[in-house]
Amino acid sequence: MKRRGRGIASMWYPVGFTVAANPSGAVVKVNEDGTAVVLTGTVETGQGALGVLSQIAAEALGIAPNDIHIVSGDTDTCPMDTGAIASRTTYITGNAIAAAAAEARDTLFEVASQMLGVKTSQLEAKDHKIQVKGFPARSAPIADVALRAHLVNGTPPIGSASWNPPTVPLDPETGQGKPFGTYVYATQIAEIDVDDETGEVEVLRVTASHDCGTAINPMLVEGQIEGGVFMGLGFALQEEILFDKQGRQLNPNLTNYIMPTTLDMPVVESDIVDSYDETGPFGAKAVGEPSLVPTAAAITNAIYDAVGVRITALPATAERVLAAIKAKRAMEQKQIPA
Amino acid sequence: MNVTITVNGEVRSASVPPETTLLVLLREHFLLTGAKTGCDVGDCGACTVIVDGKAVNACLMLAGQADGRTVTTIEGLATREGLHPLQKVFEETGALQCGFCGPGVIMSSKALLDEIPNPTTAEIRNALAGNLCRCTGYQKMIEGVHEAAEMLQSTTTPATLATKTPATPALAALPQR
Amino acid sequence: MADDVMERDVSVLEKERVAPVETLRRSDEALRLPAVAPPTALPLEPPLVPQVGEQTRAVGLRAQRPDSRNHGLGLTRYIDDIALPGMLFAKIKRAGVASARIVRIDTSKAEAMPGVKAVLVGSEIPVNSFGPSLQDQPLLAAPIVRHAGDGVAAVAAVTEQIAEAAIDAIEVEYEPLPGVYDAIEALKPDSHKVHGGDTNVYASKIIKRGDVEKGFAQAYRIYEGRYYTPGIEHAPMEPFTSIADWDANGRLTVYASIGRITLARCDMSRTLGIPISRIRVIGTVVGGNFGGKNEIRHEPVLALLAKKAGRPVKGRFTRVEEFVASTIRHAFTMDYKTGVTKDGRLIARQVRMVLDGGAYCSFSETTLGKACILSTGPYEIPNSLAEGYVVYTNKTTAGSMRGFGAPQVCFAYESQMDEIARDLGIDPIEIRVRNMFREGSISSTGQVLHSVKVKESLENAVKKFGWEARS
Repeated sequence: MKRRGRGIASMWYPVGFTVAANPSGAVVKVNEDGTAVVLTGTVETGQGALGVLSQIAAEALGIAPNDIHIVSGDTDTCPMDTGAIASRTTYITGNAIAAAAAEARDTLFEVASQMLGVKTSQLEAKDHKIQVKGFPARSAPIADVALRAHLVNGTPPIGSASWNPPTVPLDPETGQGKPFGTYVYATQIAEIDVDDETGEVEVLRVTASHDCGTAINPMLVEGQIEGGVFMGLGFALQEEILFDKQGRQLNPNLTNYIMPTTLDMPVVESDIVDSYDETGPFGAKAVGEPSLVPTAAAITNAIYDAVGVRITALPATAERVLAAIKAKRAMEQKQIPA
Repeated sequence: MNVTITVNGEVRSASVPPETTLLVLLREHFLLTGAKTGCDVGDCGACTVIVDGKAVNACLMLAGQADGRTVTTIEGLATREGLHPLQKVFEETGALQCGFCGPGVIMSSKALLDEIPNPTTAEIRNALAGNLCRCTGYQKMIEGVHEAAEMLQSTTTPATLATKTPATPALAALPQR
Repeated sequence: MADDVMERDVSVLEKERVAPVETLRRSDEALRLPAVAPPTALPLEPPLVPQVGEQTRAVGLRAQRPDSRNHGLGLTRYIDDIALPGMLFAKIKRAGVASARIVRIDTSKAEAMPGVKAVLVGSEIPVNSFGPSLQDQPLLAAPIVRHAGDGVAAVAAVTEQIAEAAIDAIEVEYEPLPGVYDAIEALKPDSHKVHGGDTNVYASKIIKRGDVEKGFAQAYRIYEGRYYTPGIEHAPMEPFTSIADWDANGRLTVYASIGRITLARCDMSRTLGIPISRIRVIGTVVGGNFGGKNEIRHEPVLALLAKKAGRPVKGRFTRVEEFVASTIRHAFTMDYKTGVTKDGRLIARQVRMVLDGGAYCSFSETTLGKACILSTGPYEIPNSLAEGYVVYTNKTTAGSMRGFGAPQVCFAYESQMDEIARDLGIDPIEIRVRNMFREGSISSTGQVLHSVKVKESLENAVKKFGWEARS
């Protein structure tokens, strides 16, 4: 019969490399019409990094993400970047782009200060305008300021910057130090059914609450969370590379290496924790890798809740769960006095 | 051997070795690279195209078997008037991430909607069970197929869809610095 | 009748000849579709372009991805959709044996095959080693094979089929060597040493805070458990693919489905022995990464084949190669010992973990480091000691994969947390709240933590899930 269970797991996860330098460089060029081009050495690997980075650049320049074009993934044209690894793109590449955009914006401020007759420190970039703080009516369209910068002042607004999270090396004997710039946190709860006659586990829903600092794009954060739960579910219940006694893989194909399909995926209820990290670009941290971290434990804890067996070796396949249930029954029968 | 198929409404022919799959015919001879080579053995569904109304893995069908048939690929879905509702919903909701499985997922969904205009979630899950995706967890795809089904039923032409105003964007509350 | 045939053939030829242009033109039109429409008709516009006077807030928008239109139209150009004029196809012969010495490689039959333009073996590679921390991995094994997915020779031919047939025609004679196929076995003094020397341990880590022995002495109860997680494949939908192309000045362009182009360029320079300025790496849109496309795999091999053949060379992993010749997630064996007070506070935790690194180092050091640091969980534990070792085995190389050891240790620490809560009769939410990091908490490495939101995530999840305490 099917038995229902629920399980919870929390986690923490760092952003960027462990101590080792992992810088990103960025160049931001504001065009004559106030749109902008960003150069970054990172590569879009599916997370939506380029969208997030264009939102960061747009925010810094007071224009819309659609006004930004990102050039990426070419060592000839783009500045150095450590790449799409270690959940570092939003935090580190994002910081570099925000700083480069701020430098380009400073040039716009210098031009606008002449146009508006105020000090540069009194200016802000918003709504496609350079405007006086507190007096948004006193403003110049960013397109006019940019054109003037290019063609009158002869100071094309170009910013370049790099960023690397500050760390302190770990003591080789005690491991004490500051290995990462910041961390993210999350909790996931799984609700499952276990068939105690077959050992089969069906995950019904997973609630996933993640801290990623400011969600630069909540839709993409949800996408990462949903995809993370998917990968965590595979890790928990299905996926395992099997080797023969001579070290050769037995299931090196998608027929026998089982990963979740649409039929296996539960409803994922994502939640983004209200959070702001002052070291990140506009308060942002990360979400890419962490979203899969707690899923497996939440599911196996739910298995315990449902049928009272502790799975300590993944994946919790139907065979393993059933074997554990049988072992538990055998143990209980032994304990009943004759 | 000579193969003639109707691809995306156009009659096209090629002379290919007999072992050529429909996938290779499409990608290498017709340069329709939308269908992807993910596993080449029918496990992943990245090469899904529609042949005579049915979603098939193009890597499992020989070009010769497709001779004389009608094939629709991802390239044949949008018109100059606008996107197919599936394409529109998928792009608005971020249903695709790396996008490699996307053409296959969209074609499987299209074949489903052609057959069942208003599918249940279970029917959508069944129809997409052969399309593996490693990025998204399928959730936004499943929701997207529902949404596209509604759009197809409530409106007639994609052109009118293009002007439909998307929902107000949600703004994340930012603490003041 | 004969005329009919003639006509038909001509029409077929005609169609073939014009097909590329025709298709390209059509694709272009489709591509231009969004651009020719007036901006107001674009679905992008309302969310992305704020109205005048409206607060600009690019951050926080549920903005559409810049690439999603191309994705949906099937127009995103992944590397396998790119073909250069005259391009050849490469195949790499995999050893198929996990531990052996190559005694002899005979490539003559392959070289004689029509359509084969270049053949390469490991000894021809200028610097036949690479790796992000230890450069212990050969591009093509020479002469020692350390896992079954090691490449031993490569071929470039005019079609993929000919390349496939050619690698089958390459004869390799192996002298079998002893092997080690289990991480715990590999720790033993008398085990086979995958890279020689006196140990298979190639990285270790200690993270120590407080005094665990003292903590255990004060504990009300102590819980011990062993946890195991297996090797996992990244399984991106797009197989690893690259193209190498030289210009007449000896400048190399590599198109690769890789997430780290800067590192790739350094590795290309090192292995080929040419200056960085002579290499351009173009990272094409990656069809799924998850850590599996973080380093080079076969690019220098393709570059050398291309140099020999004088033509661009593309290499695409088969799905099987994607499993056996790329990296995988480390299998972990973890021993957890945790001392708690009567009210469920964690006061001491000792963790020992052994990681199966497979045949080469790859990102093992990073994975081990993160796993050790994170092994306490998001909990303030005054006394903790984590020791980790990663060992060579004659199995598929383990490298970076989404989470870098965190999913493995999280499985262990949260399973044990559940066990502790049940044994002490404390609600699983409550026991976590009692131990969780707070703003300003000290981590396992002594770092003062900021923007700590673990309690908030727990509270949100509990609320959203509708978790009610059971009596």
